[in-house]
Amino acid sequence: MLKFHSVSKRYDDGTQALSEVHLDIPQGQFCVLLGSSGAGKSTLLYMVNGLVTPTTGQVEIGGKALNRANMKSIRRTVGMVHQQFNLTPRLSVAMNVLSGALPFVSYLRAAAMWYPRVLRERACKLLAEVGLSPEHLTRRVSELSGGQMQRVGIARAFMLEPQVLLADEPVASLDPRVSRDIMVLLRDEAKRRGTTVVCSLHQPELAVEFADRIIALKGGKLIFDGTPEQLVAAGLDSIYQNNESKPAPSHSVPHVTPQMLEALA
Amino acid sequence: MKPLSPPLPKDWQLTPPWTAKHLLIGIALLALLALTGSRLEMPRMITEIGEAIGYSVGLTEKSPVATGLARIGHSIFPIQIAEVTEISRIENFDRNHLPLFARIEIQETKTAHLNTDTLQMETGVEKKAVLVEPLGYLKIVLVKMVETLEIALWATVLSILLSIPLAYYAASNYSPNKLTYFLSRSSISLLRSVPELITALFLVLAFGFGPIAGVLALALHAAGFLGKFYAEDIENADRKPQQSLEAIGAGKLKTLWYGVLPQVMPQYVAYNLYILDRNVRMATVIGLVGAGGIGQELKGRFDMFHFGHVGTILVVIFITVLLLDQFSARTRKKLL
Ligand SMILES: Nc1ncnc2c1ncn2[C@@H]1O[C@H](COP(=O)(O)OP(=O)(O)OP(=O)(O)O)[C@@H](O)[C@H]1O
Ligand SMILES: [Mg+2]
Repeated sequence: MLKFHSVSKRYDDGTQALSEVHLDIPQGQFCVLLGSSGAGKSTLLYMVNGLVTPTTGQVEIGGKALNRANMKSIRRTVGMVHQQFNLTPRLSVAMNVLSGALPFVSYLRAAAMWYPRVLRERACKLLAEVGLSPEHLTRRVSELSGGQMQRVGIARAFMLEPQVLLADEPVASLDPRVSRDIMVLLRDEAKRRGTTVVCSLHQPELAVEFADRIIALKGGKLIFDGTPEQLVAAGLDSIYQNNESKPAPSHSVPHVTPQMLEALA
Repeated sequence: MKPLSPPLPKDWQLTPPWTAKHLLIGIALLALLALTGSRLEMPRMITEIGEAIGYSVGLTEKSPVATGLARIGHSIFPIQIAEVTEISRIENFDRNHLPLFARIEIQETKTAHLNTDTLQMETGVEKKAVLVEPLGYLKIVLVKMVETLEIALWATVLSILLSIPLAYYAASNYSPNKLTYFLSRSSISLLRSVPELITALFLVLAFGFGPIAGVLALALHAAGFLGKFYAEDIENADRKPQQSLEAIGAGKLKTLWYGVLPQVMPQYVAYNLYILDRNVRMATVIGLVGAGGIGQELKGRFDMFHFGHVGTILVVIFITVLLLDQFSARTRKKLL
């Protein structure tokens, strides 16, 4: 469904963000990306909807290789959830969600902010699913809590009825409880629709709990690809260790133990 | 006596927050002011204002400035509110159907003329019937003021319409290419750099006396102002919402409408209110060059030395600007 054919990315300033990444993600899989800051997680995600173009290699979605010509049509099939939610603060909740379907509406309708009935119904249904109530519809996004904002962000992302959903650290600015709720929501919404998800996280315990498959990057290279159980068996040291320098003190490394897994289950 | 604590090392020293360099800059600025001041007769201004103040409190014998001002004051007050028209000049005058509150008066004017037989000056009294409308002139001025407000309103609307495309092409992150960016930035600078009064002067030549020239002159200048500020707000708007819309392929215009406009709306409303306010004040002025509105009336009366009428106009302008201030302060508060 989603394939990376030995993609590499070298930014203009010379940073080698990704090197030779091979990946094949089947439809409906919930895939979590782990890796320390600067490992290349965002770079990999942005390649799927063309916000970043690979220096070499190719990204393929549903059998079609992403290029300049089909960029617009492919972007319509890829939803995205962001760490900072990236909603428009002074716009209402309803308008933010509806704006997720902007590629499908005419300029006139977009300008008048009057969407076709199907889309309005889809927006309401999604907002109900993510746990908001009718009185939130007309409220400004800036008046919501962080957790509620990410719920709106998820509803907006599903407006496209995307084949692939990208989530770049969707819970990085939320507290642990709300983070878990949001992850549950993200997984359930995706599973219900059979959406393929690629989600980067900084919380290995959430990755272990929610992922079908975990992929770890380090210095732009793929260093782990397997099931949560395999990750727990392998341990996290290799992912979060400082590169060439002396190994970091063990207490600073988050460690998932089988006991933790049980506690979460 | 023993010191409470050991003396601090030498490098603990507080110096004033200015240095010799600041002093030199200050002296240079003063010198510049002194030089330009003498070229502009600033010393004379100061002495004459001093004289005028002295005269008004009885310290100075005479002051040309004070007497001049007093003369203007006397001729402006009482302000002229009534309109007096000679009946013989009114076409189709009907004594039985006078306008509301109007009355007919007989005015006597002393005349002097030369008797050609005796070659002596003779004085006589001439009687004229005049129509007096007690609030007539005030009404004329108010109508002119309304016209002025209409000019300002249209100028504001036109300038907003003009500045939207200008701003789009002048925002570096939305302009399609360098050329469109450069062209719209330069037209914005050009529009802003030409004062309304000068544009109006030329437009009066093109469109003739009247409000068209006024509306266009104000709109062009304001479009430059709004274009610049709209564009800068678009550039400085938070990138995050825009990025998320670009990522799903929403396109530039829709991204602007949903990702930028809601963010910048409060500033835009403030700019537009400022422009409306400014246009009302400028619309009273551009009439001086014949571009319509109350300024045209003002100039006419001023040139005929009808200072009572000028007074009425000034009072009406003053009250209008005062009310407008209130209006825009309130709208701003409500909309933000
Ligand atoms: N636009 C850019 N220009 C130049 N270098 C960049 C750019 N974006 C990212 N990088 C660099 O590429 C590397 C990978 O960045 P990336 O954002 O993909 O990491 P990440 O894993 O998402 O990190 P984080 O967990 O902090 O979000 C980093 O070294 C980063 O500094
Ligand atoms: Mg990142």
